[in-house]
Amino acid sequence: MPGSIFRFLCETAERLPQKIAITSKTRSVTFAELRDEALATAECFRELGVKPGDRVGICMEKTLDQISAILGVLFANAVLVPILPRLKRSNIRHIIENSEMAFLVTDSERLNEVAEFADITKLVTGHGELDEERPNLPYLRRFLQPRMLSDRIGADNAAIIYSSGSTGRPKGILISHRNLADGAEIVAEYLDTNESDRIGCVLSFNFDYGLNQIWQTLFKGATLCLHDLALPNDLFAFLAEESITALPVMPVIITKMFDRRLKLATDSYDFSHLRYVCSTGGRLSQDMLTDLKSTFPTAKIYSMFGLTEAFRSTYLDPTKIESHPTSIGKAIPDCQVLVLDENGNECAPHIIGELVHRGATVTKGYWRDPVNTAKVFRSHPSFPGETLVFSGDKVIRDEEGYLYFVARGDEMIKTKGFRVSPTEVEAEVVRHPDIGAAVAFAVPNIAIGEDVACAYTTINGQPLAETTLKQFLKSNLPNHMVPAYLIHFETFPITGNDGKLDRKAIKEGAFEQLGIERDKGVAISFGQGT
Amino acid sequence: MRTELGILQDYIRLETGYEGEVTSDADLLRTHILDSFSIVQLAMFVQERFGIELEAEDLVRDNLSTLSRVIALIQKKKNTGLANSEPRM
Repeated sequence: MPGSIFRFLCETAERLPQKIAITSKTRSVTFAELRDEALATAECFRELGVKPGDRVGICMEKTLDQISAILGVLFANAVLVPILPRLKRSNIRHIIENSEMAFLVTDSERLNEVAEFADITKLVTGHGELDEERPNLPYLRRFLQPRMLSDRIGADNAAIIYSSGSTGRPKGILISHRNLADGAEIVAEYLDTNESDRIGCVLSFNFDYGLNQIWQTLFKGATLCLHDLALPNDLFAFLAEESITALPVMPVIITKMFDRRLKLATDSYDFSHLRYVCSTGGRLSQDMLTDLKSTFPTAKIYSMFGLTEAFRSTYLDPTKIESHPTSIGKAIPDCQVLVLDENGNECAPHIIGELVHRGATVTKGYWRDPVNTAKVFRSHPSFPGETLVFSGDKVIRDEEGYLYFVARGDEMIKTKGFRVSPTEVEAEVVRHPDIGAAVAFAVPNIAIGEDVACAYTTINGQPLAETTLKQFLKSNLPNHMVPAYLIHFETFPITGNDGKLDRKAIKEGAFEQLGIERDKGVAISFGQGT
Repeated sequence: MRTELGILQDYIRLETGYEGEVTSDADLLRTHILDSFSIVQLAMFVQERFGIELEAEDLVRDNLSTLSRVIALIQKKKNTGLANSEPRM
């Protein structure tokens, strides 16, 4: 029988009812308790009026209650829509309206982020104190019996993950139950996930990578240990005290872990339990690899790559990290990665082409957006009847088949694990009364991926004080979107006859002013990203 | 004479753009006044501004989660470090 998140949990709860499934600072649950809590939450949703197929948002702190809410949504056969923290108001409103979100589950910490949207969706709290104004899931759960579920099939919608695009509003990537289960099984295969694993969860549950830690846990009967990363020394204590065996991270998290401005407690602990660290979402620098290897000498390192449209595409066999430190590896099980030129033909080794993903993890497309879906989710004459994901990312393959990331095809800025649209940054910058025009772009910063930079002109030709401009931007932009670099131009160059801004020339001019050579990934001192 | 609390409140306002009142007991991380980047900046600022050196065991969430805890840490380090540190303003 093909896998499903529901079956993973029920089978594991049957086999290992008393085993601890999830722990956090405040509580733990066994698999049997988690199953019952998830079913009871699904019952709460039904009681509140959630119908199969309804979109239900989750905007919560990372807690056991958040996991119950997530599972409750899936088990009620509704569609999970995570709302990332610190999104711009207008983007949250867009997500709610675009998905026609029927309910939004939040908690007291996040309530002020979403309270204003009570006019367009129904708010529910999933954690904490009973609130006079809104239904509260932990409270309701006490009065409802877990009940067996109506059938859902693999093809049913499970989640919509919104991701920023370079123009317009974030697009929702539609994911099926089949996608979630297949992704979990494939990753468990190459990471060798097993029942004795204790997964250190520093990732949030607002995206596919973080959510997959839950699915892995349910599938294999591992234990998931939640941790909110703030200061690295707390993380090192956690890894040792909880005997963590598996640590999924991203490059920006590794940078935070080994922040040299802080005195680190790494020598005080025995990390021999840690059997792997895996990373995706950006390049692993030599410094990152050195820090990981010296701090966790017994751990394998898995470098991985993927896009949400197809969950994950590649991983590097950990025995190859020394010989191929910059490679993203080869295709994950049950998937194929093609490197295609503009004509759709396979590129020869060392020729730059587009990464095209074929196989199990291809998602259903963009929610209610046939135009953009048709651009990315396309057919290819060699594979009639199939839908492949054309990533737009540029890669090369070597003679042995190892892949290397070259560049993104789009204008997006990837900073601190977030995708930032230059147009959104520009729109905020030009709101300032003294600003004329703005052009935002990425400056390489391997510590966090990229820094946001913005070139601007002013109406009176005089540069603005950086602190004043940053204060202005901070009032409306989440921190990761506030430019680290603000570069003043007296006038912007324009292209040809049509009077459009010459973005290429502006970027080159800005790099010159910053004293950075365009093609070199210069490591800039860490503090500037904030 | 500005109190330590006043200095820290001003720093937060300037660095984060946060406009509301930062009470001495507000949990800076849970309320999202600070994130995992800006909390490190705060630790750096505290060392510089108050002339103290924070050791590995000091640099934990429990010591920096609220302004009253930060102030307690500053005072503890000042008292133990009096013999060694040079005051830096």
